[in-house]
Amino acid sequence: MAQPLPRTETTPDAALIAAWQTGDEQAAAELVRRHARALARFLAGAGAPESELDDLVQETFVRAFRSVDRFRGQCQFRTWLMTIGGNVLKDFGRRMKRRAVIPLDEMVRDVTGDPHELAEASETVARLAAGLKALPRLQREVFLLRAQQGLEYEEIAAALATTPGAARVHYHHAVRRLKETVK
Amino acid sequence: MNEDAMIAAAKRLGSGPADRLDVEATARRVLERLREQPAHRLAWIHVQWVRIAAAVVIVLGGGFAVHQMWPVKETRGHPAHFVADDLSDLSTDQLRDVLDRFDEMVRGTGTTLPEGSSDLRELDEQQLRRVLRSLEG
Repeated sequence: MAQPLPRTETTPDAALIAAWQTGDEQAAAELVRRHARALARFLAGAGAPESELDDLVQETFVRAFRSVDRFRGQCQFRTWLMTIGGNVLKDFGRRMKRRAVIPLDEMVRDVTGDPHELAEASETVARLAAGLKALPRLQREVFLLRAQQGLEYEEIAAALATTPGAARVHYHHAVRRLKETVK
Repeated sequence: MNEDAMIAAAKRLGSGPADRLDVEATARRVLERLREQPAHRLAWIHVQWVRIAAAVVIVLGGGFAVHQMWPVKETRGHPAHFVADDLSDLSTDQLRDVLDRFDEMVRGTGTTLPEGSSDLRELDEQQLRRVLRSLEG
């Protein structure tokens, strides 16, 4: 076991990744603490049911840590995680298709919180969620990375192995289609 | 819904379930799962397969290269096989012509003719084949 890396909130992800590669489990745990909620938001936004969210987040991190040698710093670690999360969710969707279909609005509905906020949010967010459901996967992921996670096109393009121009086009297609379906 | 409203809704999307996630428990479980199936073992298996594949490629490629550089010459290790193949394409008359040329050899080597035969020309096709094969050893 490697000597644990002394870490603070400012320890770069790259240093934690390098520490994990030498066997420092606490470095991996710190990466989970940093990125789990953002990843969960992305997965929930992309249609993950809340009942499965924890397991999908775990699976994403496990896959990421096992294949971390393939992460070359082409984008942020968090962005890379989300692309893996997209694949995990896709695999989950395939498994669910073979079992039972879970309606997307059930997946993303927030069932707690202030009643007024909930009512407003549930209406707007549920409409958006329904619209996202109808989008092709790439458009949905680009939209979420841009609109939900606030990433630049360059970052999205690096994560999805495409060009910033193509990422921009996917985003605008997504917005146009959402405008048509979410009224 | 305009784009700004869409972005605002997107930022709220999934925030409730994400806030309810027990991050510490998730981190513990991730570490447990990594310990159950260590990445290093998977990587080791992967490396071993790559090595085996590389060894196979080297052996096959090396064999091919050697064959190209030094083609294997026909040896006399299995003459009966090739002659027999040739024989099956010859007619009786052609076989007789061949045997004419070997007549002296037959006499020289003292090869025994089949029971009751005094001259090779009296032999039928099957008998001629047997004689030829006996000459080939």
